[in-house]
Amino acid sequence: MKAFEELLASSAKAHGHLCPGQAVGVRMAMLGCRLIGLHEPTEHSQIKKLLVYVEMDRCAADAVAHVTGAKLGRRSLKFTDYGIMAATFVNLETGAAFRVISTEDARDLVAHYAPGVRGKAAQQLEAYQRMPDSVLFRVQKVRVPVEDSDLPGPTRYKAVCSRCGQVVRDSREVVAAGEILCKPCAQGAYFQDAREITWPEMNWTPASARVSHESLRRQEPGTLHAHAEIPSH
Amino acid sequence: MIKKIKVQDAVGTKLAHDITEIRPGEFKGPAFRKDHTVCDGDICHLQRLGKDHLYVLDIEQDEIHENDAALILGEALSGEGVRCEGSPKEGKVRLLADRDGLLMVDTAALAAFNMVEEVMCATLHRYTLVKAGEMVAATRAIPLVMKRVPIERAAAIAKQNGGALSVKPLRKAKVGLIITGNEVYHGRIQDRFGPILTEKITALGSEVMGVDFAADDSEMIGKAIRSHLSKGCDLLLLSGGMSVDPDDVTRHGIRLGGATEVHYGSAVLPGAMFLVAYIGDFPILGVPACALYHKTTILDLVLPRILAGEHVTRAELAFLGHGGLCRDCEECIYPHCPFGKGS
Repeated sequence: MKAFEELLASSAKAHGHLCPGQAVGVRMAMLGCRLIGLHEPTEHSQIKKLLVYVEMDRCAADAVAHVTGAKLGRRSLKFTDYGIMAATFVNLETGAAFRVISTEDARDLVAHYAPGVRGKAAQQLEAYQRMPDSVLFRVQKVRVPVEDSDLPGPTRYKAVCSRCGQVVRDSREVVAAGEILCKPCAQGAYFQDAREITWPEMNWTPASARVSHESLRRQEPGTLHAHAEIPSH
Repeated sequence: MIKKIKVQDAVGTKLAHDITEIRPGEFKGPAFRKDHTVCDGDICHLQRLGKDHLYVLDIEQDEIHENDAALILGEALSGEGVRCEGSPKEGKVRLLADRDGLLMVDTAALAAFNMVEEVMCATLHRYTLVKAGEMVAATRAIPLVMKRVPIERAAAIAKQNGGALSVKPLRKAKVGLIITGNEVYHGRIQDRFGPILTEKITALGSEVMGVDFAADDSEMIGKAIRSHLSKGCDLLLLSGGMSVDPDDVTRHGIRLGGATEVHYGSAVLPGAMFLVAYIGDFPILGVPACALYHKTTILDLVLPRILAGEHVTRAELAFLGHGGLCRDCEECIYPHCPFGKGS
């Protein structure tokens, strides 16, 4: 694994800024990978052995993903929305799994570890680099049952919602009163009042993009707004 | 697991912990020790101590007794020059200085240690001068029986940087003194700085190798510094000329003497115009005139730390501000007062 400083710099760049959460996340990932024995998680030989569960969508989550190379689309990164500054690292080959939890004590100890550093964020950033892992984290050895349908790799299961016709992948369908349903139909969804629409430039394709772009450039800027308006149906 | 039994039913069982007896003004200590087998004759004594019930322990594999925990914690906290006194008493282990020197406390590690629930450690202030055998701290686990993991985590925290507590020996420095000021150099008044500084230096086990006098002339001061260096001094104290008057040229003289690092001004009263400089690793202390009047000043706070090998910089001088105000008592009882102990 690369040195902490190098990982922190690249993580901050990928995330968009350097912040205390980056320091915690990078260290959390380094510790987690060390505990499950994957020292080069982003290398080809180890990339498919790792699963990471992050329990928060905060800065640290991006740092954990960056250091481990775990990705949502690769199914190696799982987001469980607990609002807890913790992540679990699973070695799929050995079954070893450790949940690394960022301690609240660490926040209270910032001034002790970085006295004289001005500004809350700057002091936290410095302190979280100085603290030993024993202060920054608690660790639990855990067992993580991983279903086939949660593993990386090609789609193994598909179902069709009997109400809306939507294809549901990876056993995420719900069976209710003998009916196969997608979760939005069965349980409601994060969105409301869904109405299908049409929109301008409906026949856009990448191949047509260049032509469209040239065409748009020739038009007056004021006319662009008219095209951008979404008609009501 | 802990089970509670009536004291009358305890005959033949072993005590789970030391039982403390306090007779006001007369005695405080263990009346019974852990693992003592309770006999008929003990019942009344235990009842007099307010014990109507006793604990019987059945410790699980992932649990630990307070005495075993205290030993683990004590060993982990003890860095160089600090040792556990021995077996715990009433669940507590005392940590003793293993040599004369300056008590160093990693206050961040100590704070982190004490943030772990179920453990505690109380220490003397860091930078306290201690003698071999003197108690510098005590630690204990708070419950009678607890899980092992928090104890092991607290021990790991305590062990960072080689142990949260250590005693650094003071080196025996060969000290050069340079007394500056036209008034002394030209014999208008008698020097009183030399004897005061010499007494403080020898009290800490170092020796004064030579005393020079210099006028308020930065060239002359610089030359005197280089002269002391060439004679083999490894610490230099300059007195006077540290203030803001036009004749106060000692700081400039220290720079001309070759100082590579100069920190002027401390957050301590008396001692605001104190100076710490270095020529490489060779320390130079500029002592303001307040040391002529006050029994205890910034010099008493910084000199032991320099002799313990600490590299004192702007930050160390600034952090002394909290607790750095002398109350100027009629009778000075330093070091048994708060002066200089807040940092």
